[in-house]
Amino acid sequence: MPAGRSRATTTSSTSAGGHVEIVELTKSFGETLAVDGISISIEAGEFFSLLGPSGCGKTTTLRMVAGFEEPTSGAILLDGKDVARLAPNKRNVNTVFQSYALFPFLNVADNVAFGLKYQSLGRSEVSQRVGEALDLVQLAGYERRRPGQLSGGQQQRVALARALVLKPAVLLLDEPLGALDAKLRRALQVELKALQERVGVTFLYVTHDQEEALTMSDRLAVMSTGHIAQLGTPREVYEEPADAYVADFLGVSNLMEATVIRSGTDSSPCQLQIGEFHLEAECGVLSATGAVKLAIRPERVQLKPYDEPGQNRVPGMVERVVFLGSASQVIVRLAPGETLQSLVHNDGELVAFQQGSAVNVLLPPDALRVLPGGGASVAEIREETYGDQPDLAAVASPGAP
Amino acid sequence: MATVAVPPNKASSRRKGPWRHPWGLEAFTWIYLIWSIVPIGIAVLFSFNRGKSQSAFQGLSLRWYTGTSQAFGSVMHDPILHSAVVQTLKLGFFVTLITIPLGVGFAIGIDRWRGRTSNGLNLVMIFSFVVPELLLAVALMFVFLQLLKFVHLGTDAETAALIVWNISWPAIIVRARLVTIGKVYEEAAADLGASRFSAMWRVLLPLLIPAIFASAVLTFASVVDDFVLVEQLSGPGSQTMSVLIYSQAHGGNNGPALNALATLMLVFSLVVAGLGYVAYRFMTRGERGSTTEALTSIAGI
Amino acid sequence: MPAAPVAPTATLRSRPDGVAPETSRAPGQAPRKPPLRERMRARSAQDRIESWRPRWFWAALAIPGAFWLIVFFVLPFYVVISVAAGILDPIFQSPVPVWNPFLWSASNFANLLREVSFLWPPFLRTIAYTAIASALSLAIAYPVAYFVTRYAGKRKTLYLVLLISPFWVSYMMRMLAWIDLLQVSGYVNKTLEWLHLMSAKNPESWLGGHPATVIFGLIYGYIPYLIIVLYAGLDRIDGRLLEASRDLGLGRWRTFWRVTVPLSRQTVLAGMFITVLPMVGDYFTNQLLSATRSTTMIGNVIEGQLDVANLQGDGAAASVVLLVLLLLPMIYYVRSTTKASRENL
Repeated sequence: MPAGRSRATTTSSTSAGGHVEIVELTKSFGETLAVDGISISIEAGEFFSLLGPSGCGKTTTLRMVAGFEEPTSGAILLDGKDVARLAPNKRNVNTVFQSYALFPFLNVADNVAFGLKYQSLGRSEVSQRVGEALDLVQLAGYERRRPGQLSGGQQQRVALARALVLKPAVLLLDEPLGALDAKLRRALQVELKALQERVGVTFLYVTHDQEEALTMSDRLAVMSTGHIAQLGTPREVYEEPADAYVADFLGVSNLMEATVIRSGTDSSPCQLQIGEFHLEAECGVLSATGAVKLAIRPERVQLKPYDEPGQNRVPGMVERVVFLGSASQVIVRLAPGETLQSLVHNDGELVAFQQGSAVNVLLPPDALRVLPGGGASVAEIREETYGDQPDLAAVASPGAP
Repeated sequence: MATVAVPPNKASSRRKGPWRHPWGLEAFTWIYLIWSIVPIGIAVLFSFNRGKSQSAFQGLSLRWYTGTSQAFGSVMHDPILHSAVVQTLKLGFFVTLITIPLGVGFAIGIDRWRGRTSNGLNLVMIFSFVVPELLLAVALMFVFLQLLKFVHLGTDAETAALIVWNISWPAIIVRARLVTIGKVYEEAAADLGASRFSAMWRVLLPLLIPAIFASAVLTFASVVDDFVLVEQLSGPGSQTMSVLIYSQAHGGNNGPALNALATLMLVFSLVVAGLGYVAYRFMTRGERGSTTEALTSIAGI
Repeated sequence: MPAAPVAPTATLRSRPDGVAPETSRAPGQAPRKPPLRERMRARSAQDRIESWRPRWFWAALAIPGAFWLIVFFVLPFYVVISVAAGILDPIFQSPVPVWNPFLWSASNFANLLREVSFLWPPFLRTIAYTAIASALSLAIAYPVAYFVTRYAGKRKTLYLVLLISPFWVSYMMRMLAWIDLLQVSGYVNKTLEWLHLMSAKNPESWLGGHPATVIFGLIYGYIPYLIIVLYAGLDRIDGRLLEASRDLGLGRWRTFWRVTVPLSRQTVLAGMFITVLPMVGDYFTNQLLSATRSTTMIGNVIEGQLDVANLQGDGAAASVVLLVLLLLPMIYYVRSTTKASRENL
């Protein structure tokens, strides 16, 4: 496919559309319920991610779409046809495995050509398609190499070429960048996204790295213990998390527990109380009552001088300042006891607040989000994400750039 | 930070103290190696002895291999010695040829087929590896005499016995390799369009070739070397080299022709081992590995 | 619905954000349910293809090998028991197997008991020789294997080749080598004379019935297998554990006793099994290196019984007894191997 066609999406040479519809898909292994009746609708040509921690069911879902696991119930519709119980070699779906699974006894060209043998093509056409696929992943000239002689990033590209050469309707990717170092990972994220746009194939991408999911996806589903916590575009999921779990999974959420004094409506903000401090919030589940959770992104937390009064301010003390280069992370302990993270951009001036100084923390109402109160407590959510090192919660890396 | 004055380095740079090289152990190892290998070298040397003695070296000669003297038989021309060589090679090849497919199929099948029966069969296979050979020989002898009388003692019985005695080589080695390989390659093959037969043929078997080769080499060497089963189940004209050496070596009244025979057995095993090693390196070229790995897998570790 | 082609922008997400979100927190909220369900039912009837990897496929692969094992391994042992529990044909004086378990007789076993005074010495000797030979083998093999795994460094390949090489030499040849050397006029005696440890007029006949020679032969014959097993096991021990132990202050010896030895327990056990069990059934070492009645082992007894038709029943009975005695260690070995392999997965 000539590079000039990269802008057009609908005329790419994929076979069918690639519209995937997952309907109430359930999978249980004996007693354990791995996937609990999820339903997703993925548009043709979309880059869709399943995001979640290990054990949430995302890989099981992927394997069911690929055909390596048989669902306990539910349907997987590929362009209208239910493939849930179809053998994996009969689906127009290909997979890029986490370990790449390149056949070590074949060279690169033979690896890529492996699936073409089942399509009864002539030899010249096979080598032409192989050449195209290798061009696509920028590995032209590597035909004779063996997988053992390639770097991790190169192996991953061969795996991609091997899958894409068969022109599938959907490409499944199982944490393909997990084994690579950070810099290579960022570079490949960009390449993968560009590749997907050029080829126009639907990508179903599984990852536990929220940064990856946010940067690459058109839409994503945040999963937790077998069900979907929230499904939406990256901006929606980040700015408007549906609950505390989603909020905390995607970047730092500065979760706090609070009590509603007076519920809000569409026109009036919600009045809340933390300790003895009064706050107003204008986002989230404004009609909630009783005990709720509050979330605010660190880039929206503002630090004001201690003696400056105003709305929505809570006094606190700076525990630590971490210099990140383009910004500084300021860890503040509020008077009621919570620890918040504030991200202060580096605009050339020194951060005014040194370790140990007192500040007033401004939580703007239009950035303060009310989340449903039930479920795990803040401490439990912290523990699930950061294990037995709660201090890490305070210095977790900021959200998507 | 205050700087600390570093005392000048001692003149000797040899590792001393806790990390010193264990010369005692090394000497011990070399003594063992010499004790282990040199006697065999001497025996090989004596196969080239000009004289008939096995204790006094009298010069080099090939007479025990190719000599045509009527008085003292040579391997090539003495009918008894010659037929023993032929019989040994025959058994070696046939048994290996049958054992390897049986064992490989067994390994793949047992690995994937979960269940009580497969566990039981696996246990039986391990027992066949552990039981003393004499007891198996006794049992098989009775089977062939009392029950399966159509299997005559001799080459047929020896073949059947050697197959069952050696089936654990491919079964265990291939099984170990299967565990390392895992399911992912076959899944990848299926994902790319392969039926289950095609996935096994085009992907699993090539991945197993090193293990198959290693177990074939080990099986061959084991069959050439085998003594107990062959002796107990022998019939007319089916003597192998091992049995011949045994029958003539009691008490030391024998000639260098036996040394020649034994040296030939050694050569056969080494040639096959060498071929196996070369084939293994060829098959796995381009894969990350090392000489040590090749050697250990050839030895069946 | 996806928008018209959009030029790639600075951000990686090229879909416009105006697409309506589809939050589905509760399970089972797909919008177009009823017609879907009907379509699903119709389709799945057509496309039902059985699982890609059915069980019978694997069973079929295993069947030929399994068949061979059952016919030529399991069955023979039943035959041995039937012969051992069988009767002696009065005319031909040959053993007649009794297939029906309910009709098994203990006459052959009774014979054994009567001959216990003949059987007892070889039996004890077997235990003694095997115990001494395996203990000495371990004492030799362990340091060698330990050295090669831990301290061989660059020459590891060389050591490995040398260690493995006896493996390729047949047992017969190894015995033959020592028969040559241990002859009355062989090099061993010549060396002893040269060292003035023995007089030339009264040379020792090493092959004339010395238990030491038989034990020596057993060690020499079986030690390569032991070394290979020990090498494999010791090699698997993580060197960092030993370094950590040294780091924590334990000296060389104490590290060895308190870290290496416990970690290698499983390997040593496995090695002992594959050494002791074959030694118990050994008869040819004694024949080759001694061939006198004073050093016979139980294997010789059984083999001798098999050569005579009317003693074959006794031979079968003795085999059964030996098998039963070895059964416990064999089961223990099999159990620990399968457990170890499951843990290693």
